[in-house]
Amino acid sequence: MDIDKTKCVGCGNCHIICTMGVISLDKDGKSVVNQEECVECSTCYRVLRDEKYPPWFVRAIRKVLSVFNLGYLAAVDLCPTGALTPPELSWPRVLRAQFSNPTVVHPGTGVPGRGTDEIKSNDVTGRLRKGEAGVVVEIGRPGLGAFFRDIQKVAMALAPLEPAFEPENPVTHLIADKKTGRMKEEILDEKVLSAIIELKTEMEKIPAFLAALEKVQNEIDTVISVAIASRCLPDGTIPHEEWVRKAGYTLSPNGKTNLGLGRPLFREDEP
Amino acid sequence: MTNTLHRQGDREGLKHDYVIFVHTAKGKNREGAAPKIREFMRICLKYHPVNLGDVKQGSIHQDDIEIDRLIAGQEDNTVAAAVFTDLSTLQKVVEELIRADLGICINITGLLDEVRECCRKAGITRHSAEHSLGIWGAKDRLPEREVMEFNTMCGHGMVSFNLIREMIERVRLRRMTPRQAALMMAKCCECGAFNPARAEALLSRMQECGFLRSAR
Repeated sequence: MDIDKTKCVGCGNCHIICTMGVISLDKDGKSVVNQEECVECSTCYRVLRDEKYPPWFVRAIRKVLSVFNLGYLAAVDLCPTGALTPPELSWPRVLRAQFSNPTVVHPGTGVPGRGTDEIKSNDVTGRLRKGEAGVVVEIGRPGLGAFFRDIQKVAMALAPLEPAFEPENPVTHLIADKKTGRMKEEILDEKVLSAIIELKTEMEKIPAFLAALEKVQNEIDTVISVAIASRCLPDGTIPHEEWVRKAGYTLSPNGKTNLGLGRPLFREDEP
Repeated sequence: MTNTLHRQGDREGLKHDYVIFVHTAKGKNREGAAPKIREFMRICLKYHPVNLGDVKQGSIHQDDIEIDRLIAGQEDNTVAAAVFTDLSTLQKVVEELIRADLGICINITGLLDEVRECCRKAGITRHSAEHSLGIWGAKDRLPEREVMEFNTMCGHGMVSFNLIREMIERVRLRRMTPRQAALMMAKCCECGAFNPARAEALLSRMQECGFLRSAR
């Protein structure tokens, strides 16, 4: 995101809204974006209404109020002068928007958001079959963001376990070598709000994947949100629960359920 | 998007937090799905969700969003969601969706045992399930538990830690009501998965019991 300094009056509303907390007041009293840390989510631009006030008008009101030792508490959801300016993004910086702005449709997957499938359409795709587990590792969430160099560390920690990286996942498209988990060199310094490594494996390998994550979590400077998914048994029980507990981890009481209402349902005998 | 999976909170809070959403699969049931997604939205709307949205167009709590126009503008590849605060209403929504037989993939995020029971009562067996194993890594960089409860209600991460803190502070100073602060947070969430009713309840509880008392 860019801020037009000829318009900015330094109200600070964008500092509060910024998902990464990387907008601050510059020496000149106007807001400035730390471009290295900005993930181009455009939340500030979407949420803050442009009041279209001329900057001189806002500054004059402030000066008048300050004479009386008064301040003005603006509503938090507006940019008085419309100073926020979304830039034209080119490769590889455009990845920031594709992974961080949920309104942007990812070119690789054709859907907005992080572009994962998990179990959300498992009733029609049969992506996760009997005996298989889905491992979903979201790096950077909640609230911290992640550079691809950290995402690569996680991918490289998981790759030796020979997972099937989900082909329709946008992170998979950026892994240059699936055997090592190494990502494209030119993207490593790009930061995103979060990115999700999605893979599937055999149920009995869940403990090995969790052990690999346990190790790599200490090598990255951000957080990861971990999830495990599977196809339910005919009576509705969840087969991965046993494997996760065996590995010594606690399952959340809440989670995601695919109701199985999609059509056409996949057939187990289909490849 | 794992935008609904990692919602944090105690069991009592999560009992009032159910997100129902549609998903489609490319080459399977995505093509031509738009009318079915619109019907899903109309069914949800009948039961007065506390939030409703579509990641490509925004949620009902945003400026300039008119619900009929939002539904009319939905496309095949969108992800639409509605939030309900009680199981009995969710049960009715599920039953009506089963009767509608839309053929699109329908998912619910919420307490897994309660959702399973909801499926059983509706006469279906859940197809697949996903658990969160929580947050790993540099957790020392995260704020207090209360802040996380708000933040994780928008899994896309659009409700910043700073905004949450600011809203808590404004409620503390009585410059905003819990409802106003909750709606401001909901406005940042693009897909409609944020639960403003739960956020309001959390802020009201803070007014009674104290602000940001938890450890990081």
